[in-house]
Amino acid sequence: MVIGEVVGRLWASRRAETLSGQKLLLVRPLGASGPAARVLVAVDALDAGPGDCVLVARGSRVRDMTVGETVADKDVVVGIVDGATPELPRVAGRKGAA
Amino acid sequence: MILGRVVGRVWATRKDARLGGAKLLVVRPHGVYEPALATGHLVAVDHVDAGVGDDVIVALGRPARLAPGGQAGAGAQPADDSHPVDAAVDAAILGVVDRVELDASASARPGAAPGIRRPLPALGGRA
Repeated sequence: MVIGEVVGRLWASRRAETLSGQKLLLVRPLGASGPAARVLVAVDALDAGPGDCVLVARGSRVRDMTVGETVADKDVVVGIVDGATPELPRVAGRKGAA
Repeated sequence: MILGRVVGRVWATRKDARLGGAKLLVVRPHGVYEPALATGHLVAVDHVDAGVGDDVIVALGRPARLAPGGQAGAGAQPADDSHPVDAAVDAAILGVVDRVELDASASARPGAAPGIRRPLPALGGRA
């Protein structure tokens, strides 16, 4: 898993059947930098929102177990972070920047 | 498996049931290994009671999901030979490193297999 900050939500009216009904979040992994840094589009079944720090698990088996094998996204929010040591750096956290 | 150092701990109350109740630790991988996202960290479930500052062995993928200890969530299958506990995790700490012997000069040669480029003592302290 990686820790990431939810930086937004994503809506798409026209979407494939394999994504219908899924809430999609934009998650920026903490510490990501350089050319490889990117924002994930992750499936969320835990009702996370912008500003939350979340655990994103990656891979098809975890996806199968959590949101179902018919979902066409291998990045899944599996936890919402309450706290961490050391304190997590936040970009736009609604709970205040650390 | 990869080698890394525990740099922190994470708590999550709201989580997928299949993630289970195991302790979650933040690990900074040693050497050139980077998670696919170049974040410089990964979160792994801890099966061996590791702590911050420990060097640990981290399994990724299927071995991590099937890690021993029966710490998967309530929705998991009961553990037996044919259906081991299957947790919704992609990284698990399977060992705490006591000691490493490493030929640093050999591993740093151009063309050497990707891995540890420097002795372990030089790698800490970035947390």
